[in-house]
Amino acid sequence: MQWLTAVNSRLSRWAMWIASACIIGLVINVDYGVIMRYGFHEAPPFMEEVALLLSISVAMFGASAGVRDAGHIGVDSLVGLLPEKPRFWVGVCAGSLTGLFALCLLIGCSVMVTETYEHSIPTLGISEAWRYIPPIIAGVLILLFSIEHLIAMFKNEKVVASWH
Amino acid sequence: MALTLLCLSFVVFILLGVPVAFAIGMSCLLAYGVEGAEKAFMLHQTFGDAVMTTAAGAFQTMISGMNIFSFLAIPFFIFSGELMLHGGIADKIVNFARNLVGHWRGGLGLANVFACTMFGGVSGSPVADTSAMGGVLIPIMKKEGYSADYAVNVTTHASLSGALMPTSHNMIIYAFAAATASGMIGDNVIKGVSIGDLMFSGLIPCFWIMTCCLAAAYYQAVKFGFPKSADGVSMVKPFPGWGVVGKSFLQAIPGLMVVAIILVSVMKGIATATESAAIAVTYSLLLTGVIYRTLTREKLLKALARAAKTTGVILLLIGVSNMLRFQMTWLEIPEAMSDALLATTTTPWLMLLYINIIQVFLGIFLDMAAHILITAPLFLPLAIKMGVGPVQFGVMLLLNCALGLVHPPVGTVQFVGCAIGEVPIGKVMKTVWPYYLAIWTAIQLVTYVPSFSTWLPSVINSHPVF
Amino acid sequence: REFRSADVHAKDYPTNMAVAFMGDQLKTASGGKDRIKVFGDSMLGSEKDTVEQVKIGALDMVRVSTAAFHGIVPESMIPSLPFLFRDIEHFRKTMYGPAGDKILAAFEKAGFVALCMYESGARSVYAKKPVKSPADMKGMKIRVQQSDLWVSLVSALGASPTPMPMAEVYTGLKTGLVDAAENNYPSYDEAKHYESAPVYSETMHVMSPEVVVFSKKVWDTLTKEEQTALRKAAKDSIPYYVKLWEAKEKESKATVIKGGAKIVPAAEINKAAFVEAEKPVWDKFAATPELKALVQEIVNTK
Ligand code: NA
Ligand code: NA
Repeated sequence: MQWLTAVNSRLSRWAMWIASACIIGLVINVDYGVIMRYGFHEAPPFMEEVALLLSISVAMFGASAGVRDAGHIGVDSLVGLLPEKPRFWVGVCAGSLTGLFALCLLIGCSVMVTETYEHSIPTLGISEAWRYIPPIIAGVLILLFSIEHLIAMFKNEKVVASWH
Repeated sequence: MALTLLCLSFVVFILLGVPVAFAIGMSCLLAYGVEGAEKAFMLHQTFGDAVMTTAAGAFQTMISGMNIFSFLAIPFFIFSGELMLHGGIADKIVNFARNLVGHWRGGLGLANVFACTMFGGVSGSPVADTSAMGGVLIPIMKKEGYSADYAVNVTTHASLSGALMPTSHNMIIYAFAAATASGMIGDNVIKGVSIGDLMFSGLIPCFWIMTCCLAAAYYQAVKFGFPKSADGVSMVKPFPGWGVVGKSFLQAIPGLMVVAIILVSVMKGIATATESAAIAVTYSLLLTGVIYRTLTREKLLKALARAAKTTGVILLLIGVSNMLRFQMTWLEIPEAMSDALLATTTTPWLMLLYINIIQVFLGIFLDMAAHILITAPLFLPLAIKMGVGPVQFGVMLLLNCALGLVHPPVGTVQFVGCAIGEVPIGKVMKTVWPYYLAIWTAIQLVTYVPSFSTWLPSVINSHPVF
Repeated sequence: REFRSADVHAKDYPTNMAVAFMGDQLKTASGGKDRIKVFGDSMLGSEKDTVEQVKIGALDMVRVSTAAFHGIVPESMIPSLPFLFRDIEHFRKTMYGPAGDKILAAFEKAGFVALCMYESGARSVYAKKPVKSPADMKGMKIRVQQSDLWVSLVSALGASPTPMPMAEVYTGLKTGLVDAAENNYPSYDEAKHYESAPVYSETMHVMSPEVVVFSKKVWDTLTKEEQTALRKAAKDSIPYYVKLWEAKEKESKATVIKGGAKIVPAAEINKAAFVEAEKPVWDKFAATPELKALVQEIVNTK
């Protein structure tokens, strides 16, 4: 558990750095596009596709961190009414479902990488498969984070959020 | 079979406390699984192949649902809202509103409504609005002789304008959900919805909500004698003088300019609605970093991290909702739903009443983004048949969702407000009705008076808007 | 079996009607065993999404513009080359004939079975002012689709290509974010672009066709008879489609004129100057000997 926590908090912090860098990249990319088009009549054709690749990265890294820091919106007011024992097992169920989803994400997007490997993204000329790399990484991260949460639950501990 | 599994598992997962995004995702995966199994049987696939094809199909839909250019506005609006909050713009807006009307009966309540509406244009959502304005105003109000429930109700309801003002990321989400809308209203072909039209459509309803909230805040202040000390002595403060008001106005103006910048850059053809969000971020960075110098490295990183996490949470929800939309189309749920409702009535006003009731009901359980993504494809085709276009319907839906935000059990805005005000939800609910009335009248006007939402965009963009 | 087919257009658009017709033919041929169900209005996703769904075999078939295959099948770019076809008769003779079959066959190695192509008229430039020669387009910001071919095509004319999602074009034309866009009559009509850019100059620069594509993964599980029946139904749907398309184009042209659009007829366009300017684009996108031979075959067809 201790080593998993150590690895996860580091991974989660890295995810935050990457996501933050991608947001800055997004702003620069879109501003550059607007300035080139409005000021110089030279719209960079790659602007939209670059923006899409960056935003999928922001979203997937942000969503994984949301799992570790319990940031996703849920309805737990009803679970709160249960006595302690069943509440514990309901929590375990919910945690495992999140992990299962991450596993499917990992499988599905890996297949998509192989299927779209030879397609190229217009105006960028790189493989369409790049679009599915951030979700695959997110699948691994979410899986690790939900395992950490499950272990913490059995040990009656709390996962300390590593993001603000 | 797939349909039953989809609905049943969704309810079970939600009750288990699985986060909404994963609940939607998992129940869709079950439905995909059923179809995948049928297909695998037909194509004589092995189990492994069937799992891989099914998962690939499902997640192709999820990723493509997130992979839409307009959604860039979501991280941008959240990020610029965070910058405004941590960069001290929120304080300046509060200060101005307080100097302007703080000396009236219930003055801080009125100031709160003004400040929330103004910041509603700066922040991306009602939740951001409540945490920004409430964080500053609710403690002050409590200290200066207002009850906690009054302070919370004023803040949470006036903040709902954050959902309708131009920086609303919920509006962007709606534009996506309504992108496939099509039909006829009179002789006009309806196809999708323009974000430019939507941006202007919310302004008049917003103004209406502000006016009604002002009335509600004033009414309650008079009724309960706010502001008063613990032993009932009135605590109304004197007017600080126009000089002070003017000065605080000048300080607040640069922050408020962000709305103008967005609207002007779209109207002048400098940027598309989506790109204008990036301009808003750049402006906020320059303002807080260079002009006010309130933005430290620490605050910038915090704003970035929060923007990334919120974007992730919202976009994941959007992605899985695209899976859900795909499944609903596959299983022909919207047609069945619309047939069922059409069987009960074909009178437009009655049908719209039903739609509103169902939406308010769903708003009790669902959060805003999920609500928009699930109900827009279900009800918009029906609304178009009743002569309500995608812009008008959008404002109607956003208002219904907004009402859900201040409703237990899942009222995100109410949670935030009550947490800041340190007051239980039950206490807040006792004095909430004048504010509900304010939102409710807005919903009725938007539903039954089309020009209430469509007049302004049609004048400004000079083409008919529905 | 029920094959599910996706389309981005409305249910009554010619492409949807033609695929539904194909389904009827198939049903008759198979004695009611096989059918096609059409999902229109982008209900199952954008063109790019549905193509990927077809690739993995999650969706059986799809009708898209050949532009959706530019990054997947190089041959699909050939019919989009500017001024490749002299007129619509030339297009029909080649694309519904042997040259078209060669392009369709090229989809196979990318994991798709292309059944047939449909014409989608000629795309022309529309703006607030007439465009009669490349000189008129100098410095103009022209909205293009996200595609290298379209970027090069517009650059070659001295204009500034501006990729932008279709949904933003109406406002973009109105506010001056872009000066012009280009499309065929039905799209010009349905997107109401004539309200923001009322002068439609019949440059007729590109005649990129639509294509109906079947999933190779599903195709390989069909019997020989089923495959033959599908191919035959597809070929038979072409004349049916062409009739619908011609009516649609005429109707749209009438609508935009009634809506206040001014048409600059093809006769007033300096076509020779346009053709000259676009020569480098041919060399760039028909780069291999095979593609060059295909272009030559089309050009040589009288
Ligand atoms: Na807003
Ligand atoms: Na609620």
